[in-house]
Amino acid sequence: MHYESPVRNPLILGDKSYSDITNDIAKPVESKAPRAWWIAFSIAFVMFLWGVGCILYTIGTGIGVWGLNKTVDWAWDITNFVWWVGIGHAGTLISAVLLLFRQKWRMAINRSAEAMTIFSVIQAGLFPLIHMGRIWMAYWVMPIPNQFGSLWVNFNSPLLWDVFAISTYLTVSTVFWYVGLIPDFAMIRDRAINPVQKHIYKILSFGWGGQAKHWQRFEEVSLVLAGLATPLVLSVHTIVSFDFATSVIPGWHTTIFPPYFVAGAIFSGFAMVQTLLLIVRKIFKMEDYINIEHIEMMNIVIMVTGSIVGVAYITELFIAWYSGVEYEQYAFLNRATGPYWWAYWSMMTCNVFSPQFMWSKKLRTNLIFTFVISIVVNIGMWFERFVIIVTSIHRDYLPSSWSMFSPTFVDIGIYIGTIGFFFVLFLLYARTFPVIAQAELKTILKSSGENFKKHHDEHGAH
Amino acid sequence: MVWNVVSVTTNREVRMTENNKYWRGIEDQSNPELTEKLAQNEFSNEISSADFLGNDEVAESQTSRRDFLKFMGFSTAAATLAACEAPIVESIPYVVKPDSLTPGLPSYYATSMFDGMDYASILVKTREGRPIKVEPNTEAPFNGGTNARTQASVLSLYDGARLRNPKVGGEDASWGDALAAAKAVLTEKSVLLTSSVISPALKTAIVKLGLRHLSVDAVSASARLDVYEGFTGKRGLPTVDLDHATTVFAVGADFLGDWGGQNLMASYAERRKPGQGMLRHLQAEAGLSISGSNADVRVKARVSEYEAVLAHVYNKVAASAGLSKVSAPELREDIASSIDAAATELIKAGSGALVLNGLNTENAERLALAINLALGSKAFNTSKFVYTANGNDKAAAALVSDVAAGSVDTIVTLGVNPAYQMPSVDLSGVNVVAIADREDETAANAKVALPVSHYLESWSDFSAVDGHYAVGQPTISPLFDSKSAVEIVNALAGGSESAKALVEASAAANAGSTSWNALLHDGFASTEAAEVSMNGSMDASMIDVSGINVMKPQSGLEFYTYTKTGMGAGENANNPWTYELPDPITRLSWDNYITMSAADAVELGIEVAPESNGAMTGNTLNITVDGNTLENVPVWIQPGQTMGTLGLAVGFGRTAVGKVGNGIGVNANTLLPASAAVSTEVSASASEVEHGFASVQLAHTMMGRKIVNEISLPTFMNVSHEEWNEKPTFETHRGPLSAFEANLWDDHDHETSHMWNMSIDLNSCTGCGACVVACSLENNVPVVGKDEVRRHRDMHWLRIDRYYSSEMTAERAEEEGIGAIEKYAKMEVPSESPSVVFQPVMCQHCNHAPCETVCPVGATVHSREGLNHMAYNRCIGTRYCANNCPYKVRRFNWFNYKGNEKFADVNPSQDDYGRMVLNPDVTVRARGVIEKCSLCIQRIQLGKLEAKKDGRMLTDGEFTTACAQACGSNAIVFGDVNNPDSEVSHLKQQGRAYHLLEEVGTQPSVFYQTKVRNRA
Repeated sequence: MHYESPVRNPLILGDKSYSDITNDIAKPVESKAPRAWWIAFSIAFVMFLWGVGCILYTIGTGIGVWGLNKTVDWAWDITNFVWWVGIGHAGTLISAVLLLFRQKWRMAINRSAEAMTIFSVIQAGLFPLIHMGRIWMAYWVMPIPNQFGSLWVNFNSPLLWDVFAISTYLTVSTVFWYVGLIPDFAMIRDRAINPVQKHIYKILSFGWGGQAKHWQRFEEVSLVLAGLATPLVLSVHTIVSFDFATSVIPGWHTTIFPPYFVAGAIFSGFAMVQTLLLIVRKIFKMEDYINIEHIEMMNIVIMVTGSIVGVAYITELFIAWYSGVEYEQYAFLNRATGPYWWAYWSMMTCNVFSPQFMWSKKLRTNLIFTFVISIVVNIGMWFERFVIIVTSIHRDYLPSSWSMFSPTFVDIGIYIGTIGFFFVLFLLYARTFPVIAQAELKTILKSSGENFKKHHDEHGAH
Repeated sequence: MVWNVVSVTTNREVRMTENNKYWRGIEDQSNPELTEKLAQNEFSNEISSADFLGNDEVAESQTSRRDFLKFMGFSTAAATLAACEAPIVESIPYVVKPDSLTPGLPSYYATSMFDGMDYASILVKTREGRPIKVEPNTEAPFNGGTNARTQASVLSLYDGARLRNPKVGGEDASWGDALAAAKAVLTEKSVLLTSSVISPALKTAIVKLGLRHLSVDAVSASARLDVYEGFTGKRGLPTVDLDHATTVFAVGADFLGDWGGQNLMASYAERRKPGQGMLRHLQAEAGLSISGSNADVRVKARVSEYEAVLAHVYNKVAASAGLSKVSAPELREDIASSIDAAATELIKAGSGALVLNGLNTENAERLALAINLALGSKAFNTSKFVYTANGNDKAAAALVSDVAAGSVDTIVTLGVNPAYQMPSVDLSGVNVVAIADREDETAANAKVALPVSHYLESWSDFSAVDGHYAVGQPTISPLFDSKSAVEIVNALAGGSESAKALVEASAAANAGSTSWNALLHDGFASTEAAEVSMNGSMDASMIDVSGINVMKPQSGLEFYTYTKTGMGAGENANNPWTYELPDPITRLSWDNYITMSAADAVELGIEVAPESNGAMTGNTLNITVDGNTLENVPVWIQPGQTMGTLGLAVGFGRTAVGKVGNGIGVNANTLLPASAAVSTEVSASASEVEHGFASVQLAHTMMGRKIVNEISLPTFMNVSHEEWNEKPTFETHRGPLSAFEANLWDDHDHETSHMWNMSIDLNSCTGCGACVVACSLENNVPVVGKDEVRRHRDMHWLRIDRYYSSEMTAERAEEEGIGAIEKYAKMEVPSESPSVVFQPVMCQHCNHAPCETVCPVGATVHSREGLNHMAYNRCIGTRYCANNCPYKVRRFNWFNYKGNEKFADVNPSQDDYGRMVLNPDVTVRARGVIEKCSLCIQRIQLGKLEAKKDGRMLTDGEFTTACAQACGSNAIVFGDVNNPDSEVSHLKQQGRAYHLLEEVGTQPSVFYQTKVRNRA
């Protein structure tokens, strides 16, 4: 058995047995939904319907119902796309990279983090579709054999790379997530009393029997998928950043974008995980599993990636000055002092200054403060994408074409709609899926559980 | 894929040789004979015919042979019927095809256009019998160029708001009844009120009609005409011959715009070619005009100072020529020295000097005439008059009082709209017979309304200038039950001749030796006109202006009216292109507004600022001029506007012109009649009401960037172009390389075939906007209306950027140690007396196009001929290309412009008639796709095919793009640079040639020629 140093804080609090863990985690699935869940679900569902309405209106009438114009051809659509992709980043990082690095603390959060990943990538994937002028031709971005002659997609286009990057990411994440869910579904199946429920979980659990062979395959597949998913952590947002980095627009054409986008994505992803888990642990009373240790770890990640992002912002400014290119210099000056200065300084405040509070142990272990910062970070990261996209193109080379952007109710409606859609999915998930990977968690009960550690302290190692 | 097939075949062969026995089943092995038998008798279920016929069961079945035949008969009949359609009765094939009409090929007809203000000799392109485009008649010696309005005028033909049949008392009537009703109200007390008449045939008909006839112009030159009529007896204006000018000083005269009826674009551009003897252009004016924008020196004078300015110049000229002076009021301190310098230059120029006056007062014209004569100006041609404006305001004033006195019973109107343009006439007490193209403000209340044909449906003739006679021929039968003006007037006079007969008779008398057929073919005839006789003592009496009483400059607010490039006098006021074309100076469309200086705006509390989406919004003004008030008039703060002056464009504020023009802007005529030059009885105050502008350009300065390269003439003459036209270079491991050499991409093959290039001479471009309208008509560019333009969604493939200079420059910032933030903030503010440049920008057809690499579906691709193609039906509308375009020339179809209700009133393609103007060679784009300039690929293709059919090489200039063709100043030259003899390949070698944003490495096929100003 794995031995863990007593200086490490326990990851499972309370006097838990295996059966306690099972009961605690199965409880939200087996019990009736609390009132708070219904309220949250209703709100999310209304938002979702509103978004669906706005999307249908856009498709029916034209992209003209958004606030775009001849100069600013992308704004909230791609801002939201990158924002959601970024949020979706933490899931893979937590489940794959931390698995490879054998970070045990990830076990309490990886399930929800990955669910969040999948749900947010679904939101992200919506935008490249609906931002098309002719969505009914969307399948043309796929390199499929066709009857149009020798028409093929343009492999030079970063937008095409996006198609592959996002779809790969979504597929691998979903498979990885599902594989991890199989033993947990089986656990619920075994406990289910309602025959319909039992039947559904039976199908979902793929006939999991818990044999040693099953466990061995489970472990192997997890490891292989983790290996596959790890490069995706870097590739997805790198490729998203290529949309901008390979262009010729000052403010977009920046070689620092790939690492800067990846760091930003992890930053925002962790913040979103933080937001969600702080709610989940409260509503479903899982404070023992998602405890202050987890929250602190994530806050440290947020602090580090936030600082990386901050360095990137400052590097951009430095390079603009150092390059001597007047368009580049103006683009960055315009960001900070032009008509969208408020967006730039919101970004700076939220992303660079606010995570610095996490240097203080007192603050990073304060739940309310953490919750506030996690929201602030995601607001900041939304502004970052807005700043990059809109403030770069609204004033590019020829001043004659300079313009401004202001969202219409449809822009706002679709964004709100995706938030609603995300929470609809997440809330449904929280009620029907085991929100913590209990099978994995049980493996560390005897090394990182509080009762074990206490026992160990009292009686010494045996 | 071929290789897969080969490998499969090979495998099979290998297998066959190794093991050549295969069994189809176990039987095959155990009982080969049976298998063989079965295989040979594959369809073994035979029934002999005897068995079948003898089968009782079949005989007993319910379906009899009769039934079978019934079913078969029915289904055959049904199938036959279903295959039939009702015969199409309206489609009649040609038994004998007309010679001139081949489906798919255009025919051109020479004709002329005159709408009471613009006169142009044109070629009309028709397709399948429909006129779809107006082109300049380059062979015509007078006004052979087209301006924006002439280009747009073809769309007015297809205006659904036109009057479709005669009306009597508002009810539909036949021509016979309507003419009878009109004749019934004509007495000796009746008056014929027209716009300027230049048609000899119409004049004959008017004489025949025998009514008291008077003309008024929507933009009056009456007082100036009075001067020449007094001296010569002819009511016309002297022509201007810029070829003989070396220095031109225009006072309030927008001679590149709407001054004087003469199209001076071509000769101005010719004389402004940089080099020895380049024309020097000085301008004094109140509001910033196209001429003022192009001037070398521009002085901000008030309208009430124009006479004083001219008098001041006259006195200096008089002093040098020993003539008596005129008593002139003192000039304002800040303009006195500039005017002094201008006078000195004019004196130095001597007979090369030319002074043009734009103020409609006799004194101003007398002074200008006197200066030109005193200097012996060779460019001021007083022996050849132009007659396109010959209205008489004094006669009009007499009419107003006669109507008020009740001594007029009926007014016949032709080409005028007194209810709109002459608010002082009270029409309620008189009968009105309106010969009009629509039920406008006058015709709507007329007793009789007689529909007049559009000029493209009419026979007419023109004598616009001495020595020039032209005939206008119809290019389509009248769309509605309308007649040519000359035929209507002749019919009112009791005649029954057709318009053609009347014009033919007139031509026989006026065209000199030119035959009727030659006249129709060429569109015009040069005639020997009698020289305008100036009586002997004239020179002296003309020069002697000592007696005149020069207008005193005013100090308070003053108000004047002006014409806009798109609108002109308002003839095309229901034509969407009139409105959609942004004003070249303000870059605003779909509006008229008071132009005001920034200082006055501060004083009156007027602010104009962008909203969060970049749409401009400002306060409005309540203004009272000579006791007439307009409320909530929009105000635009205009750099270069003389302080204290307020300008307002005419032609707007229509109430009964049609769905496009109704209710747009305000009617300037209600404040100031067309006859008045300026009013100083003005009071104005800011109103709480806000007004939204449709502005296509938000930033007005170049922000210190090298976009429009401009140098002075001495630099051009004395300094090597390598210094003032330095090409960007990049430091590489191979040493410094140009943007064309430092290259990450594989180059396209540009040698094998044609390589289309375009040169745009920024020195010749005056910003007039003719190319913009021409491009839009040629390429079916949608009109999107005010709200969309306001959201910066104009669809123009070709735009003319206008930049003002700023007081802040990079050099000044460096000298004064101003930081970058402050520098750029100040650079955004245009100078109060700006230098103005225009730059037409269309797709630059980059040979390393940023748009091409980013399109995920390859909808925009490169051609071997240097063009950037756009495949509309492949586009899925990601707009990535538009974002990545450094020139921002790509336009997205935000809506279904040809179906969405929002555009029903403005977009011609939504109107059953307007749709007919669409160019059948160009697709109307669908919603959700990007579109952009194609360098008129349809014209290139047609030209190439024609050459191929003839089996010859293309010749330079055989065809050109719509913009290049429309450009009156020949600023745009299109051609094949792989043809070493082409004009464009010579232009590419010029020292002035440069590529826009060359340092981005896009390698455009379009290049520009540096602007040269004739000043130190």
